[in-house]
Amino acid sequence: MRIALINGSPKVKDSSSGILLEDLQNFLQGRCEVTKIAMHSPDVSEETIKELCSADAWVFAYPLYVDCVPAHLLSCLVQLEDRRCMRDISIYGIVNCGFYEGIQAEPALNVLQNWCTKAGLCWGGGLGVGGGGGIAMMSGPRPDKGPKAPINKELEMIADEILRCRTRENHFVSVAFPRFLYRLAAQMGWRQLIRTNGGKAKDLGWPGGQQDAGVERCGKVSAR
Amino acid sequence: MKLIITDIEDPAFLVEGEHKIIKPQRNIHHCIGCFGCWIKTPGRCVIHDGYENTGIDMSRCKELIFVSRCCYGSVSPFVKMVQDRAISYIHPDFVIRKGEMHHKRRYQNVIELSLYLYGANITDAEKETARSIIEGNADNYDGLVKDVRFYQSMKELEGLVL
Repeated sequence: MRIALINGSPKVKDSSSGILLEDLQNFLQGRCEVTKIAMHSPDVSEETIKELCSADAWVFAYPLYVDCVPAHLLSCLVQLEDRRCMRDISIYGIVNCGFYEGIQAEPALNVLQNWCTKAGLCWGGGLGVGGGGGIAMMSGPRPDKGPKAPINKELEMIADEILRCRTRENHFVSVAFPRFLYRLAAQMGWRQLIRTNGGKAKDLGWPGGQQDAGVERCGKVSAR
Repeated sequence: MKLIITDIEDPAFLVEGEHKIIKPQRNIHHCIGCFGCWIKTPGRCVIHDGYENTGIDMSRCKELIFVSRCCYGSVSPFVKMVQDRAISYIHPDFVIRKGEMHHKRRYQNVIELSLYLYGANITDAEKETARSIIEGNADNYDGLVKDVRFYQSMKELEGLVL
């Protein structure tokens, strides 16, 4: 069996989608042939399409962008819809969202499922992951321990279902980390990032209700 | 002001009152997930291709209207690229709204959202997905859904008054 793991994040490196696919690959290890496909831009090359069409199952992993599929990946799906080489392929989706609740990824999974219907492909099921902003910092030595444990458990399940060519209902999961702490950690992270870029914490909210205000680069904002 | 985002280069619909239309006029770059619009130039996208100010436009509108080809229940790639590039309309911090985590508002205006999707053979599942996405958008923008309609072709939009 050949499985294509498709990274649909626009980020070329250090994406949560990439981490989730690596974890999934660990659960698939030795039981199938894995092909890694990068879909970081809005165009799909003929070479990529050829590689994809040789797989029995595709797993798309992508971030939730404005309640939906990121635009560049949507563009790839449109290009792939009418390709005749795609036959008898099962499609699975893993969507990670920055919000805590994995259920917020449901519409983005539904878009992929609707695409399967239009393209005449078999929808295998999906996983919505909440707390995606923290995934990069939550990996530990044991997959069954720590805040990422419930996500790893779901990835193990999806790996088994892919290998057995089974269809599953969409599942939704969040990191095992209190919501209020996740929110606090995110807020601290944004403040640290804006300071790294030469701004101040208060610039995050700028222009903050002043609807006619212009926008300046961080570090050059002196007066409001 | 009404802000209309459409993938139609030469729109045949009419718009009443003060408005701005964002349509395909030049190549648009997709959002690269850098969060520069939050941490480098708060309020504005860092990619300078003529589509970097949509977040600011949104802060000045009362109505946000999407007129787009339906792609699996989503708007088309062009309209979605404009929308993805405008996350600076909201603040990166989180709030709990309707029991779920969403982004804090950056501006004071409350946007009414309308979605007009066209395309042959739009399925019921796509319509349901489209409604859930626009409702999700309204929750995240802390706005309201005003109208959702589906058309079988772009031609059916002729004479539509927004």
